[in-house]
Amino acid sequence: MNIFTANWSIQALRLLRHELRRGELTIVVLAIMLGVASVFSLAGFSGKIKQALINESTSFIAADRVLQTSRPLALPNQASQEELLTLTAIDKKSQQLEIKQAQQVLMSSMVFAGDNMQLVEIQSVSSGYPLRGELLVSFDDNLNTTDIVHAPALGTVFVEEKLLSLLEVQLGDILDIGEASFVIKGIATQIPDASFSVFTSGVKVLVNIDDINATQLIKPGSRLTYKYLFAGEDKNIESLDAWLKPQVNDSQRWYDIQSKQSPLANALNNAEKYLSLASLLGIILAAVAVAVASRRYAEKHQSSVAVYKAMGATSSHIKKLYYLHWTLLSLFSISLGLMFGYILAQIGLYAIQDYLPVNASVKAAGTSLLATLLTPLGFHPLFMAILTGIICSLAFAITPLRQLVATSPLAVIRSANLGGAGKSVSSKAFYFLPPFIALFSLLVLFSKDITLSFTLLIGGMIVSAILLVFGRLLMKLSRSVGTKSGAAWHLALANLQRRAHANSVQLVSFTIAIKLLLMIIVIKSALLSEWQAQLPAQAPNMFLVNIAQDQVEDVEQFIEQQNLVASDVYAVVRGRLTAVNEDKIAKQVSKEQSDGSDNGRKGVGRELNLTWRSQLPNENIIEQGAWWSDDKAQVSIEQSIAERLNIQLGDNLTFQLGSEEFTVPVTSIRKVNWQSMQPNFYMIFSPQVLADFPASYISSLHVPLNKKKTMQVFLSTYPTISVIDVDAMISQLRKVIDQVSKAVEFILVLVVFAGCLVLIAQVQASMEEREREIAILRTIGAKGSLLRNSVLLEFVALGAIAGLMASVAMELTVYLLQSYLFEMQTSFHFEFWLLGIFAGAGFVGLVGLLSCWRLLSMSSVTLIRRTM
Amino acid sequence: MKLNSEIILETKSLAKFVTLEGKQLDLLHGVDLAVTAGQTIAIVGSSGSGKTTLLSILAGLDLPSSGEVYLKNNPMHQLNEEQRSQVRADHVGFIFQQFLLINSLTALENVMLPAELANNNEAKELALALLEKVGLSERVNHFPSQLSGGEQQRVAIARAFITEPDILFADEPTGNLDKKTSTHIADLLFDLNKQFGTTLVLVTHDLTLAQRCQRQVEMHDGKLIDSQSSPQEESIQTEQIA
Repeated sequence: MNIFTANWSIQALRLLRHELRRGELTIVVLAIMLGVASVFSLAGFSGKIKQALINESTSFIAADRVLQTSRPLALPNQASQEELLTLTAIDKKSQQLEIKQAQQVLMSSMVFAGDNMQLVEIQSVSSGYPLRGELLVSFDDNLNTTDIVHAPALGTVFVEEKLLSLLEVQLGDILDIGEASFVIKGIATQIPDASFSVFTSGVKVLVNIDDINATQLIKPGSRLTYKYLFAGEDKNIESLDAWLKPQVNDSQRWYDIQSKQSPLANALNNAEKYLSLASLLGIILAAVAVAVASRRYAEKHQSSVAVYKAMGATSSHIKKLYYLHWTLLSLFSISLGLMFGYILAQIGLYAIQDYLPVNASVKAAGTSLLATLLTPLGFHPLFMAILTGIICSLAFAITPLRQLVATSPLAVIRSANLGGAGKSVSSKAFYFLPPFIALFSLLVLFSKDITLSFTLLIGGMIVSAILLVFGRLLMKLSRSVGTKSGAAWHLALANLQRRAHANSVQLVSFTIAIKLLLMIIVIKSALLSEWQAQLPAQAPNMFLVNIAQDQVEDVEQFIEQQNLVASDVYAVVRGRLTAVNEDKIAKQVSKEQSDGSDNGRKGVGRELNLTWRSQLPNENIIEQGAWWSDDKAQVSIEQSIAERLNIQLGDNLTFQLGSEEFTVPVTSIRKVNWQSMQPNFYMIFSPQVLADFPASYISSLHVPLNKKKTMQVFLSTYPTISVIDVDAMISQLRKVIDQVSKAVEFILVLVVFAGCLVLIAQVQASMEEREREIAILRTIGAKGSLLRNSVLLEFVALGAIAGLMASVAMELTVYLLQSYLFEMQTSFHFEFWLLGIFAGAGFVGLVGLLSCWRLLSMSSVTLIRRTM
Repeated sequence: MKLNSEIILETKSLAKFVTLEGKQLDLLHGVDLAVTAGQTIAIVGSSGSGKTTLLSILAGLDLPSSGEVYLKNNPMHQLNEEQRSQVRADHVGFIFQQFLLINSLTALENVMLPAELANNNEAKELALALLEKVGLSERVNHFPSQLSGGEQQRVAIARAFITEPDILFADEPTGNLDKKTSTHIADLLFDLNKQFGTTLVLVTHDLTLAQRCQRQVEMHDGKLIDSQSSPQEESIQTEQIA
């Protein structure tokens, strides 16, 4: 007899068919389906969003990873011992990993057109540039159309529009760079990795890298920046990262978009953390739902198993029958979950398609947005969703199922719970062990972060245990309150107390669901407000650089007249840090002290922008020491560079400005918000130190659109002041942050949806017992309104207690998450406590009442027959 | 000891006790009983006298604390759960006070169940025939919740007879029914019993129903204190066999 004709398989199928049709398995199906669907949609959706955001944002560095160095990478035979990385090795590795490469050499130089000359930033790029993002170039003077292009052809250059007016040239004219001449072929309207730095942005000229030798600009001692760009599939880039990172030396920098010190990097990092956290919470919610449902499944089938056994069914028959029944049920639910999850993710992606960054280069490659959306969500979410379904349905059901098949046939005589498994401590441990191991593995698999998973799980367990005790206490308390209130309240609270065990399990899952929901809402709003604070409506969009001393007053006056929001005007003097406590800087930074991929390494061994102030600037916080109150010569140093150079409070720093050298003590170490759009400095001196050096001044300000013209007119009278307009960059940044916010909001909706289903599943689980009770109460003459009110109030009380406990637990968790995971300012959220309590009471009460409505409106006879 | 071939069910010095809070509570005590094939026997007694405990041990649903039980020559007290299941599948039918139909199966499927467990390929035909016999041919595809109490018990009776068991255990089969329906169900039960020649062990405190059995034994405080037999059964007194 094969599996298809065996009695047990026929019986399993028959049971499944009827039970599905009769809606008896709806909750189990919903629970597993919900688990799979939420994981599939969350993983798929957040994966897609992450991918889209990263794709969009990588355009800021024109690649996935960049290796930046002041010297070209050596060929193997030229490499010194310090240089581990050679061009040949990188080429070989990139080829092996199918990674695309491009190179850039950056330098400042004078360019000439006829009699005019101008200092520009020369960006010489190889043919593959840019690997990410778009280089937009217009080939007509009026900028009517732009094209997506790569490096300029040999003998030609692309220039920024401003250069045309500065040099009084047009497209097609000749531009001399060093010893070579080039045709100005196009106007670059968007350069993906245009620098965000105030101090380095000059007018850009793009040259083909193969032309650079012809210019003869590269000479010993030239200040050059070499950038090696890499782009490829995620896993390949990660392999390259793992291979290359350890080999990076002091003079090299290895970075991706997220390691850049920029508001964007911060937003992206936190968005990514939020998305995975939300997904993890989705998984936990789903797991709770499956745990609740599988227990109910086992309880429901106990009497059937007893009957089967009394009729002579052997244990092996029962095992096969129910294992098959559960397996088919799980498969059915998983399939439904995949379908539902796919639809959900697609709806989500569709809903935010206007906000999703759609790469124009993707469009150019012939794919539409629709096509992007219709592409499968990828193998990983599918794999994770199926795995979640299998693990949940196995781990959470194994013990209830084992108890079910071990049901004694004696249960037909005594209807008591005669499940085979004992109630010893070890069996209880066995009951809880598989689900916890399963949940933990799922969390680790999903987040790839053992600490986070462990914290979430152990934290959850401790919270649940506390909740259990606390919840019973509250229920007891409410019982004594209940005796003093009306009949409905009395009955409701008496019920609550009497079913304390069942209710405390219910309470814990309500609480966990509400807590997770509150948590995700609170963190979302905290993230959003942080991002918004970062880019307020009046964030500076223009930097004025090279303001001469005698122009400062005029500029300040203009700013005041026009009512513009501006940073203070900062004096800038360029100088070198040459020694710390008389030790030369170069000797201080050894390879061992640096991981090589550190950000801002340029701060060492190059000229620094120095300033002096009498007041501590905004967005600067003194971490050690104190801001000066006396006239002594001293310096305040930025925290990260202090750490990197191992500079302590009280150390004496020697600076060289031109031919002069001076030494000052460090009297404070500052934390600087590099993400604020204002001039920021590593070194700030007390006013006396630099006052005698010739300085230029810079300022950042917000110029609204309607005042741009006035601004231009004003500036035209000061031709030496350089203007850096970062409006385009800001609007791009704001767009990305908007996208991230929308994504985060959508994920929130999905998690809330998952949480609501857990609540519904949990209420449903207690339905049978309630049915019996309502039948009895009806029979002894309880009025419909009394029953309705008591059911409603019981659930309201349960929901309110759960909401209160959830709020406390949420506050704790959010505090930990904000301080350790997101590294944000922590705060209390009492307004969300009210939300927790009222929403808990309202929602649980409503779901409870709706679920019982059918029962409450049945006649006593029907009820009694149903419960027999 | 080899049992008399006519005896289908026999107990010797059967005892059942449980320990509750350190104290031993005797549920059954020194029960000796023998039932011959085809006999109908009623076990009567007040609530808590131990009738149901005795029934569950006789049917192999539970094990005695001491003593012996033989069902169709099978030493049930020595068999494990699996072996007892097999004995039940081969020889035993049940009717319960609570009907105990499987709610998610139709009347027909409930009746087919024991036959399927015994690997009978004609389960469906047999079940249809039996449902017709109990007057439910119109309701074969109804689920238990769509049937009245009397109808549910008729389905249970049909289910009990489908394997033509050697012995049928009935636990208060009319306990949940009104008087009229009870009489009807009892008629049906005894008719079918006669027709199939099944041994019937019936636990009840309904004396009218008990009277319809050939033999009545009474339980009191876990002991079988009295035994009344119809004249034709007197030759097989428990004491003689013991």
